[in-house]
Amino acid sequence: MVDTAVMVKASLDANMIRVDSSGRLLIEEMPLAISEYDRNAVEEAIRIKEKFGGKVAVFSVVTWGPLTKRVNDTESVLREALAMGADEAYMVVDEKLINANPLQTAIALAAAIKKTGNYDLYLAGEASMDVISAQIAARVGVLLDLPTITFARTIELDMANKKAKVLRDLEDSLQWIETSLPAVISVTGEINKARLPMLLQIRRAFSKPLKKFTLNELGIQLPDVGHFRESIRLLTISRKNIIIEAGTLDEAAEKLISKLVEDGVIKPKM
Amino acid sequence: MVENVIVFGEKPSLLIDASGLAAELLRNGMQINMIGVTLQSEEINEAARYSFNKIYVIKDSILPDQVADILSKLFNENNPRLLIGPATKTSNDILSRVAAKHNLPMLTEVISVLINGNNIIFERNILGGRAISREVTSKSIAVTVPIKKFKPFEVTQHAQIEYVAPQASRVKLLSVEEKKKGGANIEAAEIVVGVGRGFRVKEDLKLAFELANVIGAQVGCSRPIAADLKWLPEDAWIGISSKKIRPKLYIAIGISGAPQHISAVDAKVIVSINKDKNAPIFKYSDYGIVADLYQFLPILTKKLKEKIG
Repeated sequence: MVDTAVMVKASLDANMIRVDSSGRLLIEEMPLAISEYDRNAVEEAIRIKEKFGGKVAVFSVVTWGPLTKRVNDTESVLREALAMGADEAYMVVDEKLINANPLQTAIALAAAIKKTGNYDLYLAGEASMDVISAQIAARVGVLLDLPTITFARTIELDMANKKAKVLRDLEDSLQWIETSLPAVISVTGEINKARLPMLLQIRRAFSKPLKKFTLNELGIQLPDVGHFRESIRLLTISRKNIIIEAGTLDEAAEKLISKLVEDGVIKPKM
Repeated sequence: MVENVIVFGEKPSLLIDASGLAAELLRNGMQINMIGVTLQSEEINEAARYSFNKIYVIKDSILPDQVADILSKLFNENNPRLLIGPATKTSNDILSRVAAKHNLPMLTEVISVLINGNNIIFERNILGGRAISREVTSKSIAVTVPIKKFKPFEVTQHAQIEYVAPQASRVKLLSVEEKKKGGANIEAAEIVVGVGRGFRVKEDLKLAFELANVIGAQVGCSRPIAADLKWLPEDAWIGISSKKIRPKLYIAIGISGAPQHISAVDAKVIVSINKDKNAPIFKYSDYGIVADLYQFLPILTKKLKEKIG
């Protein structure tokens, strides 16, 4: 039996940017979806459950506002994980966590996990899709005082000896690392191909337990670390977005080449 | 007031590179006492010339928790304003642990830094490079910096070097395997040609290599080409969890433009060629050609050969 806690983020979708007529970014109107690598973490936990038995609990912190709307969005994300095969879901909801940084998110996640019990394995995606901070697994590992391995592309469990062998994927090398369990592991997108839940499973997911906690209920306070996000602005100046149109592909190629020469990124023959 | 700054880099070359952010603070008028921490002693004398007062070399330590413990001890001894590391997976992991131990906020991949009174203001890209988050810090913070983003500060003084031994790790390293290299160095290339799922079979990539040859480019790829199809080795894979590139010119061919790919591209000019006019890549491009790459590439290569030889 392996009980796994999976941390998932309801993430902004960078391909669904919303702006108003003056070009101001409308973060509050953008849809949230399960962060891609966190979906791989959920998949890995379910595969482990299918092989060894046990349960899968998913945890999420609402970090984007407005609160009421985002609670619904986060609930959808957690229902998706439940439909994939997770057994129970927990969400930390608190005004104080809106615009939370990874320090605060990790504190809330670790507290929610502790509140619900002990697990053999704690999984998260290597980074979220929207802000790509890539800190949660390592931070939660410290907060739970557990061995931690980041960037796993393979996890092999040896439950007879309560151990895991993990293939860690770095830029230029692969490392096989052995750890005792329980342990915290972050996964890369290569670890598996996540399943799409069937309609029946989606319906069933609505009867699975989903519980919300406030910071008070978790009995924690966020430390004052003298840090805040002042603003998020759209990067507008960056690209010209010119679609080169021409009668023939020959003409298009010539137009493109002359633009690149004008921009000084390729040099013509003298 | 002199602020302490601890800079980490797993290799001396990365230590020098990451010290560029501290150098930026020096150039902004902050007085700093810079302490370096690295894991390799080769070329340590090279690093010693870059404004470090002291450099610690942690001998024989490969695992992140060992390095984090030593950084954590140095943090307690020096109470630094900043803990800086390169934006590599190793440094990202280690700094996250130290940040968690000391209740520090942490920003990965900062692209600018400013001093405003007692505040330090950082900017970093979010939302697949389409937006910038501006963050203000009045206390200590950990940050990682993209490779070659800030210029280090070279001086004539020579830093004191001290060797330290790590404690045992909580995990065990069983083996290390170097990744197969395709010989391409897309991270340092001035021009990169990127290939994606628009190519139907591996053999067709030669169309991209022919183009690359003519313009002196290196060939990189999106995730499916390296990770799923394995048509190119992983050192050609451009993405937030693999290689990040900073060329003058990036030509994306048959690439749809997933945020994980686009976020890893910091190019002066981006050209995209895709037959789907709704491909997200066009939003991130300076010049887009809506065309079948099989028809367009041979023509572009031929024209380039005529014009730039």
